[in-house]
Amino acid sequence: MCDVATVQKIANCLGVAPGKIQLNEEQVVTRTGAQNKTVSGFATILESLARESKSETAQNSIVTKEVQAQVYQWIEFAVLYVAPGSKDKHVSKQLLADFNKLFISKSYLVGHFITLADLAVYYAISELVKSLSPLDKENYLNLSRWFDHLQQRPEIHQGEPMLNFTTIYLHNWATGTHI
Amino acid sequence: MYSAMATLISSSSFSPAEITMSTGTLYTYPENFRAYKALIAAQYSGAKVKVADNFLFGKTNKSEPFLKKFPSGKVPAFETADGKYLTESNAIAFFLANEELRGGKCPFVQAQVQQWASFADTEILPASCALVFPLLGILPQEKNVAKVKQDVEVVLQQLNKKLLDVTYLVGERITLADIIVFCTLLHLYENVLEPNARRDYVNLNRWFLTILNQPQVKAVLKDFKLCEKALVYDPKKYAEFVAKNQNQKPKEEKKPKEKKEAPKKEVEELDAADEALALEPKSKDPFDAMPKGTFNFDDFKRVYSNEDEAKSIPYFFEKFDAENYSIWFGEYKYNNELSKVFMSCNLITGMFQRLDKMRKQAFASVCLFGDDNNSTISGVWVWRGQDLAFTLSPDWQIDYEVYDWKKLDAKSEETKKLVTQYFSWTGTDKDGRKFNQGKIFK
Repeated sequence: MCDVATVQKIANCLGVAPGKIQLNEEQVVTRTGAQNKTVSGFATILESLARESKSETAQNSIVTKEVQAQVYQWIEFAVLYVAPGSKDKHVSKQLLADFNKLFISKSYLVGHFITLADLAVYYAISELVKSLSPLDKENYLNLSRWFDHLQQRPEIHQGEPMLNFTTIYLHNWATGTHI
Repeated sequence: MYSAMATLISSSSFSPAEITMSTGTLYTYPENFRAYKALIAAQYSGAKVKVADNFLFGKTNKSEPFLKKFPSGKVPAFETADGKYLTESNAIAFFLANEELRGGKCPFVQAQVQQWASFADTEILPASCALVFPLLGILPQEKNVAKVKQDVEVVLQQLNKKLLDVTYLVGERITLADIIVFCTLLHLYENVLEPNARRDYVNLNRWFLTILNQPQVKAVLKDFKLCEKALVYDPKKYAEFVAKNQNQKPKEEKKPKEKKEAPKKEVEELDAADEALALEPKSKDPFDAMPKGTFNFDDFKRVYSNEDEAKSIPYFFEKFDAENYSIWFGEYKYNNELSKVFMSCNLITGMFQRLDKMRKQAFASVCLFGDDNNSTISGVWVWRGQDLAFTLSPDWQIDYEVYDWKKLDAKSEETKKLVTQYFSWTGTDKDGRKFNQGKIFK
């Protein structure tokens, strides 16, 4: 997940020129931006992108120190747990269930607005969500709502085919069971 | 004069034409949920809105010049800078909004926004008023309360279902649909939907909190609080309200009678209810009657929370305004009945919770001395005014009688010692029991 493609996608989202993104000898993602300044590490690069961006998402991510710290936590979580965990059959189930629970009471991960935390987790979890069958998605309606909300933004889906959540109709027959 | 202007939100996009267009004056009584729609929309668009000052409900809007501009005599009403007039809150909000809030360029999406605006007015509002207004004492209680409650539940359930799989009501951004429905739900969330009652509406709650916490919304609803305890119907309240109205407006006494016979009855009753909302500011602070003085509780509480007592206690005495504020010592009357420490602590925190509305104008440190089965509770309290504050509001009279209250002389050395001891959580009670735990009311 902490790969070159994801960084580029997030840079696009924020409307920032990504500069040169590559893996160094130690396989750590690095960014060489304006004036040949180089930063390495996924979270650090995201922070540098956010500072250069004027987009709503970037601005939201730095409104207060608390928000900034929480966003950072989620980015770390995305890199360390979500991305690797989503490749594991058992861990991924737990991840989905946890996120689904979280989104019962929240519209976004941090605060009440879209931040970099949402982007990082979105891209970390998107392969996993893509692999879900319609029936699987039924079990994660709150996560699905959040995911669908994000993917509808053109700057986020970036031309990728949209996942279909409209098959979610079963809950009309059994409301109240999906928590 | 321009203090109430909605300020520009820096990053929102709007055409210059729009700025000049949507400037004007909004007439309303304070805390009018209908006016909130317009004010929130203006926060998003950056439209400049001046809230008319000196507006007196029942006077200004019945005056001849007002009726000339707005024949219905209803508020909110809006007068543009170039002298055009608008009534009806949804229309005013639409005018003050930006394109994004109105649903963008697509007529279908715009229609969806309209759909929710109508839903708010025809489905939510009547149900909500029927339930809430009797509780506020401005309408008589309906005979069939169960039916009224059920009507509200049906509407809330509909919204809850809708919001299971969408983040906002229309599209993926906040629109007027969200703002209007949100404002229409405010009465319910403020007065009726206590934690237990709103438990079933998880999706609606999530959405409501998301909207409530948008900076643009917060800028308008400065201190909205979710319902802690639902209001209970009190027939006395309504009787008082009726009596008050008759005393205040002898001239209009005849009018309501005529109106009641007219077929428009329901509409007129709502109007009367509006009037009552204006007359009776719900969140009236009993401390308002007292002079404000120079002591600022917020500042002191900040210092107390962030600094060491070595700094905050001298700060307290330096800033304390003995003329308008007083210091009290409260001692629990039934110390010999105290058993477990945690139960005694619950006694203190429970009292704090019931005194919630006092928080803004009071501060206290209440301490428990001793151990299980051998302990005492006492505390130092500070509040605005010179008399026992608990008598100001019936809501505050649940606990205070189980304490002995002694007013302290703010200038004496003894008081200084006591305050220092209690604020810094040190020392013993008068029988030598050691400090065990303290609770701060702030």
